[in-house]
Amino acid sequence: MKFSIKRTAFVNSLNIVSRAISSKTTIPILTGLKIVATKDGLILTGSNADISIETRIKASNADNKLAIASTGSIVLPARFFSSIVKKLPQDTMTLDVTDNFQTRITSGSSSFDINGLDPTNYPHLPEIDSDDSITLSGDIFKEIIQQTVIAVSDQESRPILNGVHFVLSDNQLVAVATDSHRLSQRKVKIDDSDKSFDFIIPGDSLVELSRMIKEHQDIQMRISENQVLFTLDETSFYSRLLEGNYPDTSRLIPTTSSTTLQFEAPVLLSAIERASLLSHESRNNVVKFTLKPSQKIATISGNSPDVGKVEENLQPDSMDGEDLTISYNPDYMKDALRSFGKTMINISFTSPLRPFTLVPTEEKENFVQLITPVRTF
Amino acid sequence: MPKIHALSSVLADQIAAGEVVERPASVVKELVENSIDAKSSEIDITIQESGLQSIQVIDNGIGIEHDDVKNAFKRHATSKITDREDLFQVRSLGFRGEALPSIASVADVDIKTSTGGEGTNLHIKGGKLTDEEPSEARRGTDITVKDLFFNTPARLKYMKSPSTELSKITDIVYRLAIGHPKISFSLIHNRRELLRTSGRGDVQQVIGAIYGIQCVRKMIPFKGQNDDFKISGYVSLPELTRASRNYISVILNGRAINNQAISQAILHGYGSKLMVGRYPIAVINIHADPLLIDANVHPTKQDVRISKETELSNLISDNIYQVLSKQNLIPDALHRNHAVKPRYNNISQLNMNLNQVSDHYSRKTSSSDYHNDSSSVQLNSDQAIANDTNLKQSPISENYHLPKTVIIHSKSDLKQPDLNRFQSYFQNEHDVLPFDNEKSNQQNELNHNHANQSGRFPDLNYVGQIRNTYLIAEGSDGMYILDQHAAQERVNYEYYRQQIGQVSNDEQKLLVPIILDYSAADTFKINDRMEILNSVGINLEPFGKNSFIVRQHPTWFASGQEEDTIKEMIDWVLTRGKISVADFRAKTAIMMSCKRAIKAHQHLDSRQARSLIQHLKTCEDPFNCPHGRPVLVHFTTNDLQRMFKRIQDPHHSNSY
Ligand SMILES: Nc1ncnc2c1ncn2[C@@H]1O[C@H](COP(=O)(O)OP(=O)(O)OP(=O)(O)O)[C@@H](O)[C@H]1O
Ligand SMILES: [Mg+2]
Repeated sequence: MKFSIKRTAFVNSLNIVSRAISSKTTIPILTGLKIVATKDGLILTGSNADISIETRIKASNADNKLAIASTGSIVLPARFFSSIVKKLPQDTMTLDVTDNFQTRITSGSSSFDINGLDPTNYPHLPEIDSDDSITLSGDIFKEIIQQTVIAVSDQESRPILNGVHFVLSDNQLVAVATDSHRLSQRKVKIDDSDKSFDFIIPGDSLVELSRMIKEHQDIQMRISENQVLFTLDETSFYSRLLEGNYPDTSRLIPTTSSTTLQFEAPVLLSAIERASLLSHESRNNVVKFTLKPSQKIATISGNSPDVGKVEENLQPDSMDGEDLTISYNPDYMKDALRSFGKTMINISFTSPLRPFTLVPTEEKENFVQLITPVRTF
Repeated sequence: MPKIHALSSVLADQIAAGEVVERPASVVKELVENSIDAKSSEIDITIQESGLQSIQVIDNGIGIEHDDVKNAFKRHATSKITDREDLFQVRSLGFRGEALPSIASVADVDIKTSTGGEGTNLHIKGGKLTDEEPSEARRGTDITVKDLFFNTPARLKYMKSPSTELSKITDIVYRLAIGHPKISFSLIHNRRELLRTSGRGDVQQVIGAIYGIQCVRKMIPFKGQNDDFKISGYVSLPELTRASRNYISVILNGRAINNQAISQAILHGYGSKLMVGRYPIAVINIHADPLLIDANVHPTKQDVRISKETELSNLISDNIYQVLSKQNLIPDALHRNHAVKPRYNNISQLNMNLNQVSDHYSRKTSSSDYHNDSSSVQLNSDQAIANDTNLKQSPISENYHLPKTVIIHSKSDLKQPDLNRFQSYFQNEHDVLPFDNEKSNQQNELNHNHANQSGRFPDLNYVGQIRNTYLIAEGSDGMYILDQHAAQERVNYEYYRQQIGQVSNDEQKLLVPIILDYSAADTFKINDRMEILNSVGINLEPFGKNSFIVRQHPTWFASGQEEDTIKEMIDWVLTRGKISVADFRAKTAIMMSCKRAIKAHQHLDSRQARSLIQHLKTCEDPFNCPHGRPVLVHFTTNDLQRMFKRIQDPHHSNSY
């Protein structure tokens, strides 16, 4: 196998598949990058236990300056290979596999020989036979991911909560995540889709995926029994699905409220950030809302006996209902508020020991962040 | 199908023997326990070839009546218990009535026994009586077991190396001797004396006879009791440790037992003073109402069930913790076994140390013999000592030309010239216990320590830093070297250990509750200890038969580890019966202390160094870092003067 290519084009693709290559793996060959050269172009593959990424570089695209001299395949140690490629001196580079998987990389007057691995030992990517694909707007899907992954759990003992639960039915996609302290739920309309699916994608996979989605890019999603495949132009992104039953979260979201507050999300966020400056990670990470709608008083306070206290009067855009004091973990509140960007939000409480919700004032139905309080003594 | 029939009694005995008599050491154990039960004040054990050739146990106990001797060899024949109630309050070591028949079924046994009058001599081989005749009227029992496992070759094959088998024998004899200091034991192997205890009721003397005087000096006594248990024993200073738990001897009502929980309790008593992977030498005698003890768990009677085991464990841990926390634990730089072995420790240095101890050895002929013979089997328990101090060449014992061992086998032996010399040497000494001498020395040392205890940690005057790592300081009694990282780690640890326990009582509510399943036995215990769990913020609601539901948890839990933390805390309460947040989080505190301490190779100006030493002085446990490494070592003024030959050791001229 031998080809030459424009180095920047190659590096772009290399960066994409590198997301799936980790240096810690029990299968040594997975620390490598697989390159296949066909008449039509190159296919690069990287893979780990959770995700696999495959991307194509087309010979037909003149920008790639790709010339395939002979076809074939090779697996190269990813870490060394990508640092070599990034440091090569010229705009173009040539890769030539000789005997025994020896690979020569040349660019200008520089030349590297590195030992490759037998590509026939590289694991096969999952096969997804389903033709049913769902087309999603990349912008919206990225938003869904950013709004829900914050609530994904990192508890190893409850692996099912390490993912985002997607339910597609009646032309609607619902994404929910909870770590059992908080919950995020987002709904979007999917046009002309009569399909229904129910699956859980690991949060980490979604984070990687969202980084790859470019602006205004459409993505296709295909589901098999234990894998999901996202296709983004020349790139295929595979992730395993989490197996098991996700807890029924529909009943956890309260529908009534006794006290409500309205805020510009960034305004409340900065107040929370101030109030949590003194809270103590390892001992008690708690701040308190004291709300008296009748007197138009809303305060936030934090107290850490060995450091000091903080108190701030809040100026909500509106406040209604009964008096209430409630404590909660400010980190959860910060994450939730950030997910709203610059929008106006409604916060609804029912009681000091019941979860409370944050929703945007517009399209209330489609997005909710829920937080469980802390019981103080 | 063959008809079902009762096994012949010999065959049944052999099957029982499979469980009771695993190896020569089991025979020794059963015979010695019988002698102890027979109220003997002297028990002499003589072994040939690690017990595979012969084991002889002679006691001066009550003996067996002529008519009863044959019964003693019948299965389930015992004089020690009669009815069911007795089984629940066994006061003797034996009670199953199967040791003698088991041994006799797989060996050649010769027993001479007398209750004071004319004695009986039986000879039984492979379970068959071969000879019976009268014997001398000496009160006591003399039993010899030869050709062990001659008729069960499969069992013979399982024997380990002779040295391993011997170490198992010494191990059990040591433990029984520790448990019965009022009995004088002797153990002789292939004509070499391995142990002799005085029988004067002094456990310290027994420990000395077993582990050597070097060790005794570094072992401190403890004592305690509650409504159900009385405990006493000796534990080594944290600087004297071994690589295995084998040096922990637990004696319960005179019985040497194996008990994980108790060993663990002893280790807990050390808190953070032991280095990882090191274990103390410890000896503990426990007295309990026999009603609380069930020794009928396994035929070897070494596993026991203890009611109120948790209370016992706490009693042990607390007492050991208390005595250790009173000690000045700064290791003497020149007399340390581990970790600190000064390079300049050349031969003459060593000799000086040896001279300090050698006069004890001069009178302890048995031990010095053991150490003199480097080809003798290395005993498990003494190995480390024999290796790391050069007592093998104890110069004094050679000066005195004492016989190595004097063993009297027959009347003619009494004329041995060695014996005469031996006698003449001891005649004048006889009323002075060999150990009294040591004891008074020890007492001096202890007094010295006590003197230190008022200011347990010395007043130190900072001198300087070397290699940007060690701090040199001067005290009224010599020079101290401190490890700056270890010192600050300790200071930090004491701060964080406390801080980390002061958590808020606030509870984070859970949206999706956690469900925990336990076995029926654990469920029972958990329900029993619910209050303890509640006190640290774990609130479990029953959920089905053996499950609990958790709806909220303390806010200090690390995110992502909530369920694991709850489970660990429950396990902690299940095994230890108590919990405090500070103890539970000690590991976290150690980590924080290490991370936030100055490292080695960091320059400290004298202000910083002084402040560190000042802080260290206020620590509860200033002598070692939370991982157990020493924080400081001590060179006494004497050490320094001797190193520069400004003073001579009084014994110096005696040897080299
Ligand atoms: N050295 C001894 N001195 C006096 N009596 C003895 C001695 N050894 C054994 N006996 C008597 O022989 C009996 C049988 O001993 P054996 O060891 O077989 O049983 P045990 O001690 O009663 O119970 P176990 O099987 O638990 O040891 C004892 O009950 C005791 O009466
Ligand atoms: Mg017995």
